[in-house]
Amino acid sequence: MIGVLKALSVTAGTFFRKPVTIQYPTEHRQVPDRDRAFPILLWDFDVDESFCTGCHACERACPVECMTVTMKDNPKHAEGTSKRRKILDEFFIDYGRCMRCNICVEVCNFDAIAMNNTWVGHELSTVDRKDLVMDREQLLALSKQQQIRPWVPS
Amino acid sequence: MWGIFGVNMNVWLDAFLRLQLIVLTMTVTVMALIYIERKFLGKIQQRLGPMRTGPFGTLQSVADALKLVSKEDLRPATADRWLFELAPFLTFVPTFMILMTIPFMQDWGVRNLTLGLFYIIAVSGVSVIGYIMAGWASDNKYALLGAARSAAQLISYEIPLVLAVLAVAMVAGTLNIESIILQQDVIPNIILQPLPFFILITALLAELSRRPFDIPIGESELVGGPWVEYSGMRWSIIFALTEYAGLWGMSALTAMVFLGGWQFPFGTASFWGDFDFLYQLLLIFVKSFALILMVMWISATFPRLRIDQLMAFCWKVLLPFGFVQIMINGIVLNYVSDSEVLRNILLFATSSALLVAMCYVVYRATRQPSREERLRRLVMARSTAE
Repeated sequence: MIGVLKALSVTAGTFFRKPVTIQYPTEHRQVPDRDRAFPILLWDFDVDESFCTGCHACERACPVECMTVTMKDNPKHAEGTSKRRKILDEFFIDYGRCMRCNICVEVCNFDAIAMNNTWVGHELSTVDRKDLVMDREQLLALSKQQQIRPWVPS
Repeated sequence: MWGIFGVNMNVWLDAFLRLQLIVLTMTVTVMALIYIERKFLGKIQQRLGPMRTGPFGTLQSVADALKLVSKEDLRPATADRWLFELAPFLTFVPTFMILMTIPFMQDWGVRNLTLGLFYIIAVSGVSVIGYIMAGWASDNKYALLGAARSAAQLISYEIPLVLAVLAVAMVAGTLNIESIILQQDVIPNIILQPLPFFILITALLAELSRRPFDIPIGESELVGGPWVEYSGMRWSIIFALTEYAGLWGMSALTAMVFLGGWQFPFGTASFWGDFDFLYQLLLIFVKSFALILMVMWISATFPRLRIDQLMAFCWKVLLPFGFVQIMINGIVLNYVSDSEVLRNILLFATSSALLVAMCYVVYRATRQPSREERLRRLVMARSTAE
């Protein structure tokens, strides 16, 4: 009988507590720094080009083969402004295929690829699967706008 | 003679207008209750409840009603056609008939029956047939199981309900709800008869198949009981109208029989002023709403009972104590008729003593041995086995 009263007081107690749910599409919870959405490319603001040299390390390591990378000679290296001899030409990632395993980030020799840790990386629904294949500019956009929060101390 | 709000008119027209008023109020109340219950449950479970339709989700019930009305009314191919289609109405009509004798204000109900309580008890027993009809006609094993369970439960709990109401009727000396309310201007019946109030609340939960007693519905085991195969309009009649109108009607009835209905509590009517009909409406609203919230609170708290626990609680606890209460009431009312104060004190004392005794019986029945005791018994059992 005492347990009955205890149970009633517990539910009455939770009634006056703040709800834990939030109104998701209009309110967002803070994403953790090491949140692992889809991979994106990083932009080197010192020499104004991408960190990525198109070395195919991530493409070869990718378990689901969602990446396509091509490489070209770096025009800035010929001018002498950049130390990178080669630079990426085209870079495609099929977000519909990517399984967000983080392997590409781990194998990258130049820290040129990172996992998207913003809400943008989670709200990508489209009506066409083709729209999930990201090209170079789309992959670099977030980094160019400096919206990626670095969690590795650089 | 007859007439709504003092306007003279034909008897039939008057009855029709009153019925229309009840139907309108019932629909609005049901929609409000669904919204309130969803919000209340949400708060208790640390959720928000409906938030998207309208400001703070207030239009959710309207949206639900629109969706249910426009949904296709499916009927299984093997179902018994007429039974299947008539069953929802057979559960709804008794609930609606209860509302017709409830006096919501002084001298204002659809009809004031001299045997009002008797009528309500008689009519509310009919809804079992609707459950069984729905369960049988659906041609579905879950529906049939649910129907069997609801028949067992509703019929069993009808008896404590009757006993509780009868105890109050003995004290009041009448079965007319209006006179019962009028007698409670100083002392509401809950003080004179706490045990029947407790029995009535328990039986009411069971009659409405609400959570601690929802084995006929049992979503997790019977996927909705007798109503598995229903959809659309028919389902909304069952679910929304029957369940919530029943909750409203029974809460209003309990408020009238035990809490003094539209009377101010403890004889403070002269302090508050004239017996205005607005005061009466407000009082009956507050009292029945408090009861409804209590029912929702209880059903949000307790898990479903097993069927044997349910039956044992009814037949071994509520029923004997109800009979004992009626016996004591009879003795008190018969032998202590000259002094009303002494009579009231005796009624209060015996009934609360019985309530304490009942709590003790339940406590003894549900008590678990302590951990040490259980270990000791285990060790003893093992040593004797060897």
